Amino acid sequence: MFKPDETILELKEVNKSFGGLLAVNQVNLSVGKGELRALIGPNGAGKTTLLNLINGTLPVSSGHIFFKGKEITNLSPHRISHIGIARTLQITSLFSGLTVYENIWTAVQSRKKFFNPFIKAGKWKDVEEKTESMLELTGLKDKAHLICSELSYGEQRILEMGIALSTDPSLLLLDEPTAGLNSQESLALVKKMRSMLSGQTIILVEHDMEVVMELADNISVLHYGSIIAEGPPEEIKENEEVKKVYLGT
Amino acid sequence: MTNQKRESLHFIIPFFLVLLILAIVPFFASRFFQTFLTELFVWVLFAISFDLIFGYTALLSYGQALFFGLGSYTVTILMRKYGFNTELSLFLSIIIPILFAWFVGYFSVRLTGIHFVIITIIFAIIGNIIGETWTSFTGGSDGLTFSPHPFRLGLFQVDLVDIKGNYYFVLVIVAICFLFLRRMVQSPLGRIFISIRENEERARLIGYNVQRYKLIAFIIAGGLSGLAGGLYSLTLKYACASYLHWSVSGHAVVYTIVGGMGTLIGPALGAGIVMSLEHYLVDILMATDLVVGIVLVIMVLMAPKGLIGLLRLKFKRG
Amino acid sequence: MLSQLTVAILNGIVWGLIMALIALGLNMIFGLLHIINMAHGALYMLGAVVAWYLIEYIGSFWIALIVAPLLVGFIGLVIERGLIRTIEDKPITTIICTFGIMLVIQHLVLIVFGGSPRRISPPIAYRLPIFDLQYPSIRIVIALISIAMMIGLWLFLRKTKYGLWMRAVVQDREMAVGLGIPVNKVYMWTFVLGSALAAFSGILAAPIVSVEFMMGREVLIMAFIIVIVGGMGNLEGSVLAAIMISLIQGVGALFVPPSIATVFALAFMIIVLLLRPQGLFGE
Repeated sequence: MFKPDETILELKEVNKSFGGLLAVNQVNLSVGKGELRALIGPNGAGKTTLLNLINGTLPVSSGHIFFKGKEITNLSPHRISHIGIARTLQITSLFSGLTVYENIWTAVQSRKKFFNPFIKAGKWKDVEEKTESMLELTGLKDKAHLICSELSYGEQRILEMGIALSTDPSLLLLDEPTAGLNSQESLALVKKMRSMLSGQTIILVEHDMEVVMELADNISVLHYGSIIAEGPPEEIKENEEVKKVYLGT
Repeated sequence: MTNQKRESLHFIIPFFLVLLILAIVPFFASRFFQTFLTELFVWVLFAISFDLIFGYTALLSYGQALFFGLGSYTVTILMRKYGFNTELSLFLSIIIPILFAWFVGYFSVRLTGIHFVIITIIFAIIGNIIGETWTSFTGGSDGLTFSPHPFRLGLFQVDLVDIKGNYYFVLVIVAICFLFLRRMVQSPLGRIFISIRENEERARLIGYNVQRYKLIAFIIAGGLSGLAGGLYSLTLKYACASYLHWSVSGHAVVYTIVGGMGTLIGPALGAGIVMSLEHYLVDILMATDLVVGIVLVIMVLMAPKGLIGLLRLKFKRG
Repeated sequence: MLSQLTVAILNGIVWGLIMALIALGLNMIFGLLHIINMAHGALYMLGAVVAWYLIEYIGSFWIALIVAPLLVGFIGLVIERGLIRTIEDKPITTIICTFGIMLVIQHLVLIVFGGSPRRISPPIAYRLPIFDLQYPSIRIVIALISIAMMIGLWLFLRKTKYGLWMRAVVQDREMAVGLGIPVNKVYMWTFVLGSALAAFSGILAAPIVSVEFMMGREVLIMAFIIVIVGGMGNLEGSVLAAIMISLIQGVGALFVPPSIATVFALAFMIIVLLLRPQGLFGE
């Protein structure tokens, strides 16, 4: 099993209810630095909700979330972004009318403190350099001046990860990156992710078990909002309870 | 980037060419036409300030009339009742609307979509009703007249009662505001506005405080709308409560849609075309808003990117 | 004072019922299509104007009450099929488009009908004695007709196939498509019905207010307010809010100038929008 040196994210007895419905139930979770943690579970298990709680999109009903030892419970998403958690969404979320270059630029620029209204954005050489290097990393350099909606779906997923990475996160939340891709495209994406995201701490929500087994250091299984199993892939594969509720065997 | 330089040249040369032509016009045109153009410049300013929030930040505010009316009343009341000079009155016609825009925006930017549209309309209606009712202060729907002092800045002096002086004065201020806004939308701050327009959620996820930047855009647009109102009153020597009516904001909407939102030059062009259309139609047809409405509907449906969008499409195809 | 108060309350209820019909039309369109129809007030005005012509040439208020909404409903059909349909999924674009339609309708009427206000005389002249005052009985009849219309609408939504479809589409559009409900047609008929309702209320209001091309402008804003206070998509809420607001305005006007009463109502609205965007009567 992957043994991290230090814990980077910790959830303590986190609950979320909608009306009377418990979507996330007493979740305890700790993710170590450099770990790739997969979050799996049947539809409606509360995976996306859990990500929404971590990055502040939704307020928790009760419980505490710590990041690098500091409490971040219920901070707003833009503050959490600055603290170092980046996120991609299940349905690709890009600046749809802008070029690939502008998409990355906008994300790189977000780390600046003051946004001068009297200079041209192009004057910021450091942002320009970082943008170029991010384009290099994502492999989208040739397509930098295409409007991002002209990219293939797989490329759009990569661009979204590129945007997330451009904010220099210490933790990356990926919500079903392979959703909507065929198996060939999935494979290509996973390959790309391996090179692009090496060394990153990641929480990955994913349906495709092959992808999960391939990438994850550890897996947490959610069922009706509760974590029912946790461990390295080979252990989870053999877990009887997981088989019963999730793998359907 | 040489590319950027070339693009700037593509803008700067035509821009100053147009300014030059407009600067020569008063030597040939009638006084009546000069006044028409002066009013047109004012509406250009109103339209481009609206473009900043609608075209660049995707906030459809029907409340801009409130700031326009406030600016107009600031100039009129300060000069008529309190004997302020032109320089200070005009300056305050930016500052006071900014304060109101801050207040209105503080609440409004919490709402999105249709709710935002409606709350801005409501604020404008409240302003209009107060303006209509408080006749001892505002003159109500009859309005107030005044005569402006010359504008002085150091040795520089403009007589605003003179039509030509007024013309150049407004032209220069509007041109400066245009350049100011153009620079702003290309600046890092402008990038944030555009990112909010393109995808608010994504902008928030990469760390922008979306509400704060919406408020900033709203305040800047409010201040410039106020300046437009102030200049309008300086031109007409008059202000009345109907300037505060929410439907005045509709002018900016029409010009922006017709010309092409999110381009600055589009709303300016739109104001020019629509106002000329009205100007010449009014002799044959009393109800010029009929034509304005038809043009608006056609543009929204057939060319949502406006005339600039159509031109760009044509240019692209060769 | 007592008779004045009674009259103010009666007026408040009558006007509230008319406003409720207008707001119902606006809210049905909003609840279903998620668009704000800025031309709604203009359609209300158009109803009254068309009725004025019908009464002029046919001479019957009651025939006009039936025919004018049908004609305006047809115009609604043309607007929905011809213009709005392609942009129904873009709320902000629709607001701008219907704003343009509003301008067109208003100024067409200005050209044809002229700018000066005209009156439609009440078809029933009898005045009801209330204490020492005489109350026009037509207003009571108008109130009863409005109530009948609302009951009819309620039955339509609850008991007919179309009503069922409409409610299904409001609940879950995708599910409705899956169930084979012709969503497109439901949109169309909702818009037609909303337009006809606006016109119908315009005719009902005509004997009380004067008929002119701008009569829909302030009514549109009141209808917005009612829809928001009652809750967008919440039809019962609209009826309650309409009567409540009209009563407050009517009775309040006895004590403070009407414009002040309106400013307070609007300030209240802003608070509702900020704190309870789902409306006062929403869950």
